[in-house]
Amino acid sequence: MKKKWLNDDLNRLLAKLSKMMRLTTAFIFLAVLTVHAKSYSQQTRLSFSFQKTSIADVLSFIEEESEFYFFYKENELHADRLIDIDVAKEDIHQILDKILTGTNLGYSIIDRYVVIAPKPGENIRATGQQQPRSVAGKVTDSSGAPLPGVSVIIQGTTQGAVSDMNGNYSLTNVPGDAILLFSFVGMRSQEIPVAGKASIDVTLEEEAIGIDEVVAIGYGTIKKSDLTGSVSKVKSGEINAFPSSNLLQALSGRSSGVQVIQNTGAPGASTSIRIRGANSIQGTNEPLYVVDGFPINNPTALNNSDIESIEILKDASSTAIYGSRGANGVVLITTKRGKEGTNFVDFESSYSSQSLIRKLDLMNATEYATLYNTKAVNDGVAPYFTESEIKAFGDGFDWQDLIYGTAPILTTSLNVNGGTQKTKFSISGSVHNQDGIIKGSNYNRYSIRTNLDHQFNKKFSAVLSGTLSRLDTDRKDSGQGSRGNTLIAAQFAPPSLSPYNEDGTYSILSVVYPFVAPDLINPLNFIHEQSSTIRANVALVNAALVFTPVEDLTIRISGGVENRDDRTDSYTTRNFINSDGSASVSTSQYTSLLNENTISYRHSFNDDHQISALAGVTYQDFITTNLSGSGAGFLSDVFETYDLSASVTPGIPGSGYSKSVLLSYLGRINYSFKDKYLATASYRADGSSKFSKGSKWGYFPSAALAWRISEEDFLKDDRVISNLKLRASWGATGSQAIGPYVTLNQLSSGKTVFNDALYNSFAPGTNLPGNLKWETTKQTDFGLDMGIFENRVLITADYYIKNTEDLLNTVVLPSSLGFTRTIQNVGKVQNKGFELGLDAQLARKKDFKWNMSANISFNRNKVIKLYNGEDILTGSVNAVALQDNTRILREGRPIGQFWGYLEDGYDDKGKIKYVDLEPDGKLTSDDKTYLGDYNPDFIYGVSSNMTYKNFELNIFLQGSYGNDIFNLSAVAYAYDFVSGMNMIRDVLYDSWTPTNTDAKYPLVSRNTTVNISDRFIEDGSYLRLKNIQLAYSVPVQKLSLLRSLQVYVSGQNLLTFTGYSGWDPEVNSSGLGVDNKTYPMSKSLTFGFRARF
Amino acid sequence: MNKNGYLNEIRLMILPAIVVFVSMLCASCEDLLEENPKTLAVEKFYNTAEEVETAVHAVYGTLRSNTMVEQVVILDAHTDWGYGRGSRADYNNLQGFNAANINNAGSRWNMFYLAIRNANLVIQNAPGGSSISQPDIDKNVGEAKFLRAFSYFQLVRNWGAIPLRTEENMTQKDLAKSPVAAVYDLIVSDLTFAENNLPETQALVGKATKYAAKTMLADVYLTLGNYAEARDKANEVIQSGKYSLVTVSGKADFQQKLFGPEIITTPEEIFYFKYSRQAGEGNWILWVLSHPSTGNFNFGGAYAHYSDASNSFYLSWSDDDIRKSLWDKINFGLGPNTLVSSKYIDKNAVEQGRGAGNDLPVYRYADALLIYAEASCMASNGPTAEGMEALNKVRRRAWGFDPNTPSPADFEVTDYTKASFQELVLRERAYEFIFEGKRWYDLKRTGKAAEVIQPAKGITIAEKAYLWPIPVSELDYNKALDPAADQNPGY
Repeated sequence: MKKKWLNDDLNRLLAKLSKMMRLTTAFIFLAVLTVHAKSYSQQTRLSFSFQKTSIADVLSFIEEESEFYFFYKENELHADRLIDIDVAKEDIHQILDKILTGTNLGYSIIDRYVVIAPKPGENIRATGQQQPRSVAGKVTDSSGAPLPGVSVIIQGTTQGAVSDMNGNYSLTNVPGDAILLFSFVGMRSQEIPVAGKASIDVTLEEEAIGIDEVVAIGYGTIKKSDLTGSVSKVKSGEINAFPSSNLLQALSGRSSGVQVIQNTGAPGASTSIRIRGANSIQGTNEPLYVVDGFPINNPTALNNSDIESIEILKDASSTAIYGSRGANGVVLITTKRGKEGTNFVDFESSYSSQSLIRKLDLMNATEYATLYNTKAVNDGVAPYFTESEIKAFGDGFDWQDLIYGTAPILTTSLNVNGGTQKTKFSISGSVHNQDGIIKGSNYNRYSIRTNLDHQFNKKFSAVLSGTLSRLDTDRKDSGQGSRGNTLIAAQFAPPSLSPYNEDGTYSILSVVYPFVAPDLINPLNFIHEQSSTIRANVALVNAALVFTPVEDLTIRISGGVENRDDRTDSYTTRNFINSDGSASVSTSQYTSLLNENTISYRHSFNDDHQISALAGVTYQDFITTNLSGSGAGFLSDVFETYDLSASVTPGIPGSGYSKSVLLSYLGRINYSFKDKYLATASYRADGSSKFSKGSKWGYFPSAALAWRISEEDFLKDDRVISNLKLRASWGATGSQAIGPYVTLNQLSSGKTVFNDALYNSFAPGTNLPGNLKWETTKQTDFGLDMGIFENRVLITADYYIKNTEDLLNTVVLPSSLGFTRTIQNVGKVQNKGFELGLDAQLARKKDFKWNMSANISFNRNKVIKLYNGEDILTGSVNAVALQDNTRILREGRPIGQFWGYLEDGYDDKGKIKYVDLEPDGKLTSDDKTYLGDYNPDFIYGVSSNMTYKNFELNIFLQGSYGNDIFNLSAVAYAYDFVSGMNMIRDVLYDSWTPTNTDAKYPLVSRNTTVNISDRFIEDGSYLRLKNIQLAYSVPVQKLSLLRSLQVYVSGQNLLTFTGYSGWDPEVNSSGLGVDNKTYPMSKSLTFGFRARF
Repeated sequence: MNKNGYLNEIRLMILPAIVVFVSMLCASCEDLLEENPKTLAVEKFYNTAEEVETAVHAVYGTLRSNTMVEQVVILDAHTDWGYGRGSRADYNNLQGFNAANINNAGSRWNMFYLAIRNANLVIQNAPGGSSISQPDIDKNVGEAKFLRAFSYFQLVRNWGAIPLRTEENMTQKDLAKSPVAAVYDLIVSDLTFAENNLPETQALVGKATKYAAKTMLADVYLTLGNYAEARDKANEVIQSGKYSLVTVSGKADFQQKLFGPEIITTPEEIFYFKYSRQAGEGNWILWVLSHPSTGNFNFGGAYAHYSDASNSFYLSWSDDDIRKSLWDKINFGLGPNTLVSSKYIDKNAVEQGRGAGNDLPVYRYADALLIYAEASCMASNGPTAEGMEALNKVRRRAWGFDPNTPSPADFEVTDYTKASFQELVLRERAYEFIFEGKRWYDLKRTGKAAEVIQPAKGITIAEKAYLWPIPVSELDYNKALDPAADQNPGY
């Protein structure tokens, strides 16, 4: 009766709602499902009915419907005996009594574990041969950490115990010949004969890489075996394997289909991720990051050791639940939460020493003077240096040594974890202090994280996840630039000069050497006299109220806030060259409010049909405001940026505001039949304020099917294949790709001068607003998951095709229009690819274990259609001596296509000749062609994990093959003779002369010019030893306070195999394959320990 | 728990959830998705005199950008005396542009057309403003037309036939080129409108006036060879009595009293682009031209453009001419004869890029005088006494004499023919307007570029160097243009 009331009530309410709501479909299915709602739970009574069903099946049914686990010996229970049973709202005791009626078996319930065994006294085993005694011991996992909650049963009896928080257990009255059965979910059970021992310590091992592990999918979790989509999981051990200044760096090479792009090596710098290639021309192509359910921009404020797991959703079936934000994939980040029955403190700390991976082989002072004298001769001017001067120079000064040094990273984190049945918590605090290898740069992150779960009663629980982070960054990563006007470009200062004058002031390079460009600034100016500090407070707080009105139905109402307050202080002292002191302060405040309301339902019918469904409505807004001020001309450096009004000329203050809103409805159904046939369908409708009226809503459906062939009878007992699943999915996802207000014809304010004063001006910008709608990516994915040899080897393979349509694309307008660009929904891009992941347990002996995993991903990117078929030239670079577009967007070619001239040796004066492809005797833009492509042919990662007794050796290799790099840095260090910069040694020894016409470099002359050509395109393939770690688990069982302790030494980026001639193949300044004088990557050596108390 | 209790609990708890759901699903959700930026929109602007005026300011703002400085220095590299350093050497070689310089020319094209668009917006929208008076409309449209004419005058002289965008066709994406004559027709018509509608003086120095329009019109007529009209327009400026030359007694006066950073205005100013010692609002030309060793600019300088003391232009220049002293000999790797300009100096600028207070002259009274001198000679088929006096005024001032009193530096009208007098004026203009971007135009309009530049620099100007390439950003995307046929010769 109760049930019927509930359903009628809900039905009425929902029916009313449906009328009010436009999106009725989601709720209709909810209403339908609710009719079938039944209530089962551990506490509540169960109802079921079976005829002629084996006891084993009945028990396994109860296991699935409750939280109980049964332990029994099949021969004792006669588990294949068929019984008829009919229970209606009976508790576990009543049910078991029915099942065991007429047997000599009894049962006992320990926590969630039900042990069925012969009743005492009816034990057929002869007792008294050995005296019963007490047995105690400790259960640990393979890392030595204590395992609480392990059930320890005396086999064949109902007698048992559960290990406590320290992993300790004790049993009394144990027969001397008894066998103890240790079991724990997710661990391989062990049977250990007592054999008269009073103390038995046991180490439980994790089950082979489980297909039964749970993975997060959007708005829920699912057993891996039930997945229909393509989802990769990266676990905390991999994320935390070595210190990295942000979480995303730790993903590199860990999952197939995921390319991690490091834009600079600066500490704390952002990292780009491409999942299955780039879809969008206009958009960022960054995936959506979701932290504990909260979609955020960039997860850099999180501390690596707080992460439990990262799931990467790749195919459209997985990402479509994120609709308009799913096109570039979704990265779900789950932080650590407390677990019931645990209580421990983790303390980890590491110290790393970083250094430059590779110094450029620049000329010494003698070589420098010789080169520039050669240049003077070639240019017909008097030599700059006399022979005796050149001889006296020697090696001169090494500016690279001045700029780069070794730098420490210190990381410390403390995590307190615990939980009772009602309340679970995880609280952590962490500090990451990193100095950069460029002097004066650093990144410091302090964060506190709290996760709380509380169960009020059977129906209500609440969840809180919160992070507060403080990020302090001193930046010295002012790369790019030209002719030495940035710190990194200034390392090309003449080696024959030194940084200080005799009176201790900074030398002015262009004054000492008149042929040196005034842009080439003594690096000490940047190191000591210029500062840029970013301080950010980031808060990410998310809370939810979870209501379970009836078993299987969960309503979740959550709200969250992401807030980031940034302040950047930049100051140039009066001591900086040509400076009266200048200061600027800019702040920005970003706030995102989130409200998500979901209702989910899970049920199984007749044991064969499993269904779970989800529906929800979400709201998220994004508000950014900013404020900036500046001042120039200070009486003293003492003010720094803290008294702008003390400046002679305060700058014009600036401020701004933007807001966008995303409103969404979502729904998903998962269905499985007999665990063999799995289906998923999802739908999301997104409304975004960014798009034009009438085009604000986008609709994103998806569907997926999977077939677990290994559950079919013909394969069920196969000795080789332990798991085999085929998957197919299709879905549509979107990308917003534009900022707020792009569709509006706004006026921007400006200034002009009359008299000597400023007056306001208003005019539109140069981007013509367009009528815009969503960019849509349709993806088809075919996948295979296979486990062989009892899942000791797991294989995952996926093939996908992604077509992005209505591409938001820049359309170039004739510049005489005054508007130079507009954005339109035109164009198509396709990504096709293949991914393979492999996990293998090569050895699992007691003392020696060896796991290996490897992944490889191939992606092919192609522009299918552009506006009017017109090419779009992009990737504009400006190195003064070389200014042009580096890339072309053209139908049939990849997005990363480099574009320029082909070289044809040198002319008789040592100038570079170019191939006249359009033979008209002139070098025009018609002579340009394809030079290369920054997209790799494939990327890969290999990791190996060996443990021998207490030792553990991890090796992690990561690489990329077939990607091209545009080496723009080379313009500075090999061609730009006008500026008087130092150059790489080769230029002196292998430049064109009348006798060396086949030289690597053209004539050394101020008239030497270069164009974008194949000269600058290099193979960027590399293989890198990303991490190697040797760890030792200190045996600590004897100590009571310390539960486990691991010490380790590791090295990052110690070895790199590459043919690339620049600093590093992994860094490129624009993220698009251009190396332009970027903060270089570092290698490091790390010492650390991980302790659990 | 009884039935009703259970139900009540359900209601109690489920209702808030439903309220949240419903509130999200309400009819107002479309309102949630409406954008309300804190900015002005084109559709709701140009209604009051104040709004229209700020829209006119945007035309000035665009032209004042660094690109106008770039235009001036590049034009002056196209001369007998001017050179560009490094990648800018192609400008003085006059053999056509390399890829980087083509891009650079394209960005100046874009800037002039952006100014034209901003002017067109005013010309189109101001007359329809909801609360603006007719005099305010006329004045603002007059300024917009003046600036549109200025932009087209720069475009037509460097690129030849070009798309002619007016308020009539400003949104038409594909637009064919108009012949040079049609461009000049619009320039003349715009300037005539400006001349008739602009006030004689503006409250704010730097805004176009009636006499600025007349001076530019004189310049346009001179360029077109309509000498009588040029003479008359220049004479109207002279006869207005509003302008006079600034008297100087030495180099420092030129640097401070005529082109100095602290000047608000001078009696010589007809139309200048105004700059101020404010971060981002100053004149970039000081960075482009200065050399750090002179201390003329307190942020050093890039000395990207320079001259040479062994050039015949400099060698034949009288040492008594103070203007010649506005060059410093600095050897920065190109030899001891390298000359760096010290015409524009500011030792108290506020930043390196745009922090100097010096204005950028477009039309000075000296220009009106020299246009008059040349035009009166050409119109009368021989030098006139009035023309010679106008020329002598400029010359006297440059030699440190009172401009209005005969001096030992004076030329005698009887010594000159029509041709030699024009030569004399052109030479005086060359001395007077260094780094004001006039010499190349003078050489081109008089057809003397080849004969003047060959002896000075020893180069033969390539035919293609007379017009700059139409940028790819126009040719490739304006479907009314044929990328091959409509490109200027040689590109």
